[in-house]
Amino acid sequence: MDENKKENVIEEQNPVSAQSVEEVTPVHNPLNIAEDEIWTYKIDGLAAPHVNKPYKYKLLKQIVFVVVIVVAIALALYFSVQAVRKETFDYKAKEEGYELSKFSNTGYVTELNVEYVTELKYQEGNPDPNTNFYFVEDETKPITSIREYAFNCDEKLKVVYIGAKVTSIDGKSFYSCNALERIEVAEDNPAYCDVDGVLYNKDMTEIICFPIKRSQYLQSKLGFGEDVDKQSEAYVNDVLTYKIPASVTKVGKLCFNYTDLVNVYLPEGLKSIETLGFFRATALKNVYSYKADGSVYYSLPEGLEYLGSDSFSYNQSMDYLYIPSSVNYIGHHAFWDCVYKEDNQIKGITEINVALNKDSFKKGVDTGDQWKPKYDYLLFKKAVKINYGASRKA
Amino acid sequence: MSKKEMIISKVKSVFGEFKEHWSTPAPGKYVPYKEYKDIFIAVGSNYTGAKTLEYIGFNALCYLMMYHYKLPYLTYAIIGLINMPLGYIWSLIWWYVCDNLANLPKKTEYKLYAVYLSLMAIGLGLIIGDISSLFNQTGAFVTYMNGLEGLNANSVFKILGTHILHSGWVGARNIFWRKVLLPKFGRYKYGLYCDFIPKCVMVILIGWLPVYEITDVVTRVWVANLLFAVYNVFGFGNCLETCAMNISPNVDERIIVRTYPIKFSHTFNSIIAFLIPIIIGTLRYEWADINVFRFVIPVIFITFASLTMVFAGRVTERIPQPPIEKKVHIKFWDGLFGVLHNKYRWIQTIVYLLDSLGNGMLGFTTILYLYTFRLSGLSYALIVGIISFAGTPPDLFTPYFIKRFSYKQIMIFYQLVRALGNGIIILAILFCGENLVLCGTLCCVMLFLMEITKTVPTSVGHDMNVRVNDYQMYLSGERLESFSGIFGWFTGPITSFIGLIIPLLLLEYGFNSNWDVLFIDESRMKIILVPMIIDVVGFVLMAIPYFFWDYDTKKQNLVMEVLKRRAEVTAHKAEEAGEKSHGAFIG
Repeated sequence: MDENKKENVIEEQNPVSAQSVEEVTPVHNPLNIAEDEIWTYKIDGLAAPHVNKPYKYKLLKQIVFVVVIVVAIALALYFSVQAVRKETFDYKAKEEGYELSKFSNTGYVTELNVEYVTELKYQEGNPDPNTNFYFVEDETKPITSIREYAFNCDEKLKVVYIGAKVTSIDGKSFYSCNALERIEVAEDNPAYCDVDGVLYNKDMTEIICFPIKRSQYLQSKLGFGEDVDKQSEAYVNDVLTYKIPASVTKVGKLCFNYTDLVNVYLPEGLKSIETLGFFRATALKNVYSYKADGSVYYSLPEGLEYLGSDSFSYNQSMDYLYIPSSVNYIGHHAFWDCVYKEDNQIKGITEINVALNKDSFKKGVDTGDQWKPKYDYLLFKKAVKINYGASRKA
Repeated sequence: MSKKEMIISKVKSVFGEFKEHWSTPAPGKYVPYKEYKDIFIAVGSNYTGAKTLEYIGFNALCYLMMYHYKLPYLTYAIIGLINMPLGYIWSLIWWYVCDNLANLPKKTEYKLYAVYLSLMAIGLGLIIGDISSLFNQTGAFVTYMNGLEGLNANSVFKILGTHILHSGWVGARNIFWRKVLLPKFGRYKYGLYCDFIPKCVMVILIGWLPVYEITDVVTRVWVANLLFAVYNVFGFGNCLETCAMNISPNVDERIIVRTYPIKFSHTFNSIIAFLIPIIIGTLRYEWADINVFRFVIPVIFITFASLTMVFAGRVTERIPQPPIEKKVHIKFWDGLFGVLHNKYRWIQTIVYLLDSLGNGMLGFTTILYLYTFRLSGLSYALIVGIISFAGTPPDLFTPYFIKRFSYKQIMIFYQLVRALGNGIIILAILFCGENLVLCGTLCCVMLFLMEITKTVPTSVGHDMNVRVNDYQMYLSGERLESFSGIFGWFTGPITSFIGLIIPLLLLEYGFNSNWDVLFIDESRMKIILVPMIIDVVGFVLMAIPYFFWDYDTKKQNLVMEVLKRRAEVTAHKAEEAGEKSHGAFIG
C-alpha cells in the first residue's frame, strides 16, 4: 500500500467515523482478491468462509442439534437433581448396628431422637411446615454411632436425644450447630451421659460437647425473660458461667467452640484441652481453675499437660493467661488472635505468664508454630511478652 | 565507535523513534506511541478497578460470603442449577442481539423489549409472592425443595424470580445501551459508559446493606442472591484491555502492545493488590472486618473506575470491519452453525470441559495463606506480591517465546507444568504436612515457579482467543463472540454436574457454611488434597487437545489480509453509493 495513503488512513482511525474511508481506494489487496470474492476467498489450510449462504442439510442439522442439546440438558439436570437430593437421614450399616452419617434438616426440625433408624413422614393435608411431619422409628435397627460432621452447620436443631445404644460419638459431630441448646442422653446408655444438656462420657472424665446455645436453654429454665440484661451479675453467674466437674480430665475436640460463656472453671485434675477446645468462644473472659478444697485460681489448672492446636484461638475477651508448670505440649496457634490493637492500645492477652523458668520451658514444653498471640507492630506482627517463673493469681 | 557512544546513539535513536511517531504511527503500524501512554493509564485503571471487584462476588470464595453471609457451600451450586435451564433461552436472544451489535429491525427490537419487560414483571411477581403455597405442602415437590441445602420451596421460587428479573433487566439494557453507545464507543468500551455510576452505587450498597445479619439462613440466601443479582446487572469488566488487545490489525504490534503498555499497566494493580492486605491488616478483625467492604473496597474501586472513565476515550478499537450498516446480518441458525464450524473453538471447548474437573474446589492459596499460615497485613501482601511478581519478568520476553515456540508447544508445556507443580504440592502436604513451615515453604516455592511459567501461556491464551475470533470473522463475516456461547450449551450441563462432585465431597469432609472447619488439621488436609488430585488429572488431560492446534501466525496474517480487503471493499461501496455509515475500520 502506498505509504502516504496509509498514513492518511491511520490518522483517521476512529472507528466511529465514516470519514476514515473517504480517501481510501481499493488498493490494499496483496492476495489479489477480486471484489466479488471477498466473502468466498479460501485460505489454504483453513476452512472456506461461509457467509450468508444456506447450509447443506440445514433441517437435519437443526434437528440433531436440538435433540442433542435437549438430551444433554435433561440428563445433566436429572443427575444434578439426584446429586443434590438429600435424604433427611443418612445411615450406614455397621456390624454392631447403624451409624448416623448425616442429618439434613428440612428446615423445620428442632428436636431429634437419635436412637433407631428413623424416617421422616408428612401428614397429608397439614399445610403448616412446622408441624406437618412426624418420625417413624425402626426399632429393629438401633443407632450405635454418630459420624463426624453428622449435624454439621445445622441452624435449626435445638435438642438432640441420644439413645441407649449409641456408644460412639465423634467430637466433631455437632460442629457449628448454632441453635443447639442441649443434648440429652438416655440414662441406660453405657458410654455417655449428660449433665443439664452438656454431653459427657459415662464416667465423666471427658466433656464432649457443650452446646453453642445452651445459654438459651438455661435462660428459659431459670426464668430469665427475653429482655434480660445479659451483662447483669445474676445472668452472668447463672447462665454464662460453667464449672466443669472435678472428675473431668479431658476437654474434647471443639467442645466449647462458639459458646457465649464468660467464665469457665476448670478442675485441677484436668489433663488435656484438645484441638479447638475453646475456639472462638469470643465472650470468654475468665478461665479459672479450682481445687477440691474450694480454692480458686486465675489460671489454667495445675496438672494440665496438653493444650491442643487452636485451643483458645480468637478469644479476644480474655486478658490474663497463666500456664502452669505441668504443661508439656502447646499446639500451633493455641492462643492465636487473642490480642488486638484498639485506639493505639494493646488489648486481650497482652502477656503470657508461665510458671516454668525460661530454660525449663524451652526444654520441657513442645510448642507448635505461632502458639503465642501476636499483635500488629509497625507493619508486621509481634508476639506478646512471656513472663517466665511467674506465680499464679489466687 | 566506542561502546559508550554506541549506547548513547542507541538511546538517541530510541528517543528519536518515540518523538517521530509520538502522534503518528510508524509505517506498517497503527498505534502511535502517545496511545501507548494512554493504554498504560486507561488499561491500568480499568484492570485495577475490575480486579478490586473480585473481592465482591456471590461465591463461596468471597470474604464477604466467608465471614459475614456464611451461606452453605453447596447452595451456590444448587442456585446455579435452578438458573441453568432458563439461562439457555435467554442466551439465544442475547447472542442474536450482541452479534448483530443491537442493529436490529425495528419490529424485532420492540418485540424483544416486550419480552424483556414481561420477564421483569414475572420475576418481580415471583419474588414478592409466595408461589410455593400453591403446591401441596406435604407433596414430593415441596418436600424435595425444602430439603435442599440452604433453601426451601418458597425461596426456590424467589431465586427463580430473581434470575428472571435479572435476565429481563440485563436484556433490555443490552439492546438500549448497545444501540445508543456502540456506534460512538465501539464494541468493547461502550459498557463502561452506562455502567460506571450504577456500579459505584452498588459497590457501596453491598457493604452497607446489612443483609448478612438476617438470622434465618434460607432468607439470607435468597435476599443475598437478589442483592448480588442487582449488583451484577451493571458490569465493570476489563473492557479496555480487551479493546487494547484488538488495537491493531498488525499481529506483531498486538503482541508488542500486550507485552509492554498492557503488561506494565498491571503495575497499578500490583501496587493496589499489595496495599489492600496491608490496609485490611490494620482493621481489628482483619479479613473478617466488615469495614473492608464498607470503606476499603469502595474507595479503591471508585478511584480507579473514575480514572478509567477519564482515559477510556483515548484507546481506539481497530478491528478491520465493514461499517455497522454494511455488516453481515447474522441469522440465528447461521450464527450457531458458524461457530460450530470453527475447529479451534472446539479445541478450546474441550480444554475448558477438562478444566471443569477442578470446579467447585476451594482456592488453594486462600487456604494456605489464611488457614495454614494465618497471614494478614504486610506478611500476606509480601508473599502474594512476591509470588504474583514472579510472572512479570518472563512476560516481558513474551514476544521472544512466541517467536521461538509455537502456541501449541507453549500451551502443552503449560498444562504439564501445572500438573507437575500441583503434584509436588500434594506430595509436600502428604509427606510433611505436619511441619507447617517446611510444607508451607515448599508450597510457596512451587506456587512461585508455577507463576513464572504461567504468564507467557496466559498471554498466548488471550491471543489465541483473539485469533480464533479473527478466524471466525473470516469464516462467518462476524466475530460471533456471543454465539460462541453455544459451546457452553454443551459444556454447561456437563460442567454443572461435574461441578457438584467436589462440593459434595467437601460436605462429607465437614466443609459447609463455616470456613473455620479449615482450622482442623485433618479436615483441612482432606479438603485440600482430594480436589487437587482431581485437578491434576484435569491438567494432564488438558494438554491433549492442543496437539490438534494448527492455526499459526502465517494463517493468521492471511486471515487479516482477507478481513482488510472485505472492509475496504464494503466501505468503498458504501461511499460510492453515498450511504451514511459508521464503525468501519480498514487497517
